[in-house]
Amino acid sequence: MTAYLPIRSADSPLGQDAATTEAVGPSLAFDDARHLLAHRWLVEEAYVLDHQDYDAWLDLLAEDIHYYMPIRVTTALGTGYDTAKRMAHFDEDKYSLSRRVARFQTEHAWTEDPPSRIRHHLSNVRTFATDEDDELVVESAVLLFRSRGDVRGPSLVSAGRTDLLRRTGDSWLLARRHIAVDESVLRTQNLAIFL
Amino acid sequence: MRDAADVLANVRRGMLPAHIYNDAEVFEAEKERLFSRSWTFVAHESEIPHVGDYVVRRVMDNSFIVSRDQAGEIHAMFNMCLHRGMQVCRAEQGNASHFRCPYHGWSYRNDGRIVGLPFHQEAYGGEAGFARKGQRLVPAPSLASHNGLIFVSMDPDAPPLLEFLGDFAFYLDYYTKQSPSGVEVLGPQRWRVHANWKIGAENFAGDMYHTPQTHTSVVEIGLFREPKAEKRKDGCTYWAGRGGGTTYKLPPGDLDERLRYVGYPDEMIERMKGQWSQEQLDVIGRDGFMISAASVFPNLSLVHNWPKVADTDEVLPFISLRQWQPISADETEVLSWFVVDKEAPEEFKKLSYKAYLMCFGSSGMFEQDDVENWVSLTNTAAGTMARNLLLNGRMGLLQDDTPVVEPLTPEQFAGPGVARVGYGEYNQRALLNEWADHLEQDPPKTAPTVVGMSGAEACS
Repeated sequence: MTAYLPIRSADSPLGQDAATTEAVGPSLAFDDARHLLAHRWLVEEAYVLDHQDYDAWLDLLAEDIHYYMPIRVTTALGTGYDTAKRMAHFDEDKYSLSRRVARFQTEHAWTEDPPSRIRHHLSNVRTFATDEDDELVVESAVLLFRSRGDVRGPSLVSAGRTDLLRRTGDSWLLARRHIAVDESVLRTQNLAIFL
Repeated sequence: MRDAADVLANVRRGMLPAHIYNDAEVFEAEKERLFSRSWTFVAHESEIPHVGDYVVRRVMDNSFIVSRDQAGEIHAMFNMCLHRGMQVCRAEQGNASHFRCPYHGWSYRNDGRIVGLPFHQEAYGGEAGFARKGQRLVPAPSLASHNGLIFVSMDPDAPPLLEFLGDFAFYLDYYTKQSPSGVEVLGPQRWRVHANWKIGAENFAGDMYHTPQTHTSVVEIGLFREPKAEKRKDGCTYWAGRGGGTTYKLPPGDLDERLRYVGYPDEMIERMKGQWSQEQLDVIGRDGFMISAASVFPNLSLVHNWPKVADTDEVLPFISLRQWQPISADETEVLSWFVVDKEAPEEFKKLSYKAYLMCFGSSGMFEQDDVENWVSLTNTAAGTMARNLLLNGRMGLLQDDTPVVEPLTPEQFAGPGVARVGYGEYNQRALLNEWADHLEQDPPKTAPTVVGMSGAEACS
């Protein structure tokens, strides 16, 4: 018996062309070079996101990325699903992510001007080999701390992520990200941030 | 609520005491006098398409199981066990023939009828002790649906839903009846914002004036075909019955050309022509107005827009339905659904969904900036300064109450209600007048529901 239900791109109308590579075998040893590489990649990305350096972030994303954060719903144990059908908070391709980034770079994206103070606390990283030499599956937990202004308290977003990293030339790019947010009702005013 | 008569009188002349957007006493009055009476949206029938499907939704602090029973009938049942008051359903959605209370094991069919009461004979002495026959989870005092939209009212004497909606039903069809099959409603995204619930409802009802400023950024990044957000003032606002909304003025053309302009494929246009009345078609084809945002009193809003969803010149329309669920004077839970015609082609549904996600909802690029403003407004409305500040909500009226622009004639606007071109706060005032009408009335008197006592009246 498990309460864990994996997120699948195939469940999204916009995820039909997403990469389908899956983890194979147990997680890699923590001194495995592939794990060290993947862990470092996630830490570097967390700094990029905390700095809201979104041009640099877009450069980390593969052209065919599926960036997917379904809505979590409370269902009885054994129901067989815990995400809303055909709806999500994020269900993005490179174009829609690039528009979101472009908007932050106008002088009129009020929601992040003044910017939030954000920190992605990253933990529980484990890496899996796949059937592809150039692809790794990496799982992680992320706790986003977000503080805006000086009146309201901060907000938190807790999530698990399952990523597909792909070697492209000399660099590793994010080809798929599934975000399992841990609340059914978000307690942050909007998702003008990325996880 | 302090100074209630003054507050309501000021609201009625369009002068808004700023504290109404963050005042615990005002919120209590809204709870007792408004949400205890008004029809409130809870779910769409397409969210519970099959026998046994249910969703759990709230009206203020009241939890309801909205279910489809074995006969296909829809119910809204107060989610409280008749024994000790435990929540009988703790999931948000699912499919069940019965609900069993985890506390003592009482169980209910999905139409609310009690079916299991452990040790009824031994513990209660059977029917002579606890009259089980005919007992059911307490139904919402009033329940009705229109175009699949399910509403409840806490008032058993609520007027019929269609009477309540009035002429706004004409406009509701644009969003929820584009073909004989109606719509499917997906979601909701749910999130909490530290903003008063009225602000969103007012904004969607009629605030075309904020678009060029608040939403400059989405125009700058090329999400819209129209180069300037100032286009907004060429549209009109309308108020009809218990709702009102905003429109965009479309470029010259006939009905087909104008529907194509916002991205509808021909097969959907053909179905709209078969579905809508001549007047509904004339608003678009003859008069050149396309519906955009709207609100139904008190807290249901709708939006229709047509952004680009890829790096091309094509635009795609989307529809969203949202509820501003009040949590407290300074907090609102937003429930935002994506709405699409059931008969739309799959490719259209897919791209319309993408258009929705990019623009509205928890991550939407329009909504992000709206919420930032509304949170900020709510913060500043909390203090004593705001208590003594009457904001001017009279846009569109001279000081002697003469309107700045005359209403459109039936020859200029085929829809019911009162429509005016350009910026104005007519609709926000109409919404707040409804609000004042409710706050002025005493709470509805409802006889208590008595559990398990045959033929007994409540003591008073």
